[in-house]
Amino acid sequence: MDDITAQFEEVLRRHLRSAKPNPINYDVELVQLGLDSMTAVAVLLDMEKAFNIRFPDDMLVEGTFRTAGRLKEAVRLLRERQAS
Amino acid sequence: MTHPLPDQSLGPEWTILELLARGVLDDSERQMVRELVLTGTLDWGELLEQAVRHKMLPMLAHHIISAGLRFDVPTTIYMHLESALEWNRCQIDVFRRETIRVAQALASRKIPFVVTKGMTFESTLYGSLGTRHMNDIDFMIRPQDREVVMSALQELGFRPFFDWAKDARREEISSRLNRDHLPKLARKIDQPGTRIINIDVANSLTWAKSPFDVPVDKALENPVEQAVPGIPGASIPCFRPEYQFLFTVLHLFREAWLQKFVDFGTDVGLMKFGDVIRLIHRDHDKLTDGELLRIMQTHNVTHAVGWVLRHIDETFQTRTLELFALERYGDEKLLGGQMQSSAYVSASGQPMRERLQSKSRGSVRPLAAAHPRTQDE
Repeated sequence: MDDITAQFEEVLRRHLRSAKPNPINYDVELVQLGLDSMTAVAVLLDMEKAFNIRFPDDMLVEGTFRTAGRLKEAVRLLRERQAS
Repeated sequence: MTHPLPDQSLGPEWTILELLARGVLDDSERQMVRELVLTGTLDWGELLEQAVRHKMLPMLAHHIISAGLRFDVPTTIYMHLESALEWNRCQIDVFRRETIRVAQALASRKIPFVVTKGMTFESTLYGSLGTRHMNDIDFMIRPQDREVVMSALQELGFRPFFDWAKDARREEISSRLNRDHLPKLARKIDQPGTRIINIDVANSLTWAKSPFDVPVDKALENPVEQAVPGIPGASIPCFRPEYQFLFTVLHLFREAWLQKFVDFGTDVGLMKFGDVIRLIHRDHDKLTDGELLRIMQTHNVTHAVGWVLRHIDETFQTRTLELFALERYGDEKLLGGQMQSSAYVSASGQPMRERLQSKSRGSVRPLAAAHPRTQDE
């Protein structure tokens, strides 16, 4: 498990009720886990706070959080950018 | 088109505002307002608070003055009302000039657009009296023109801003994800009384991810040129009557059903319902010739429109559902089934009159998340 997985999943589970009792499937579309337009905003906002990052405008599109895998990749990328 | 006088079960203050919102049209209504103002039990604090909540302070002020009730109002309250009306008139004048400035910039780039809401209604529905409150200037554009419009507005000095929201970053993310509007834009003018001009540019007649929509391209066809009072020779493009009505009603529906408007405390208000009643009164013949019904049926918005009209009829004792032959439409449970997510307000069945008068809108509970599928399904 890499260093952000536990925290990443904790944030995700906080907002997605269907993700709570199950292991996170990183390939399933998040809308199938209960993500809607309001929870999407809340998830991104919480990710920013949890990882001290800021999604740039060009990443504030649905593709960024279509699946847990894509969202985690975006978070990882922003953390790397910030570190460098 | 006159309506039965409202019942006074919610108090004289509320009755006055209901009468003003729908428009005082005849002597019996004028007399009723007069008697309510003159009643010894009128609570001016309550009346002013509700007038402010429903953006009707300038309208109340104008009626007090035009009905000759000035000396029947406590002096300090009258002075405040008079100031509110004068300030609103100044703000409208500033907004008119800015609207023309923006309209000219968009037209010079051959961008299809119309001016919507307050700026069009203040002259057509409210007689250019300075009584229609406005927070901003509203435009409608096509989705494909978002970037070029944003660029044009930035050239005019407008900048995106989110400070109006309690959580500015949340609103910024929301506006980037839900692309039914450009981010709210503001320009500092530093003029006494009006320091900032806000612009709201929509590119949808409904909202992002709405279960129904009306194509903007169609709605923008054949706009009506509307003169701008006080500025000779100036005009602005506006929706033709069918789409003016549709957008106004669907906008009210949106504010009634989206949870974020309840959270912000900017959901349904008396003035917005008044806009719809006044539109029907003004464009009655055009709206009932069959074309509007055809458009609503084509785009599957009859239930949403029916829902709004049903609440108007129940609140204001009008008969708009019958007028538009929409008695079968507007089922709240059906609409609630279409909009099951945390983004929407629950179809609670609460009478609209009670909701409008309520001062604790935030207590309206959202629907539980709509039984999302599990990963295994």
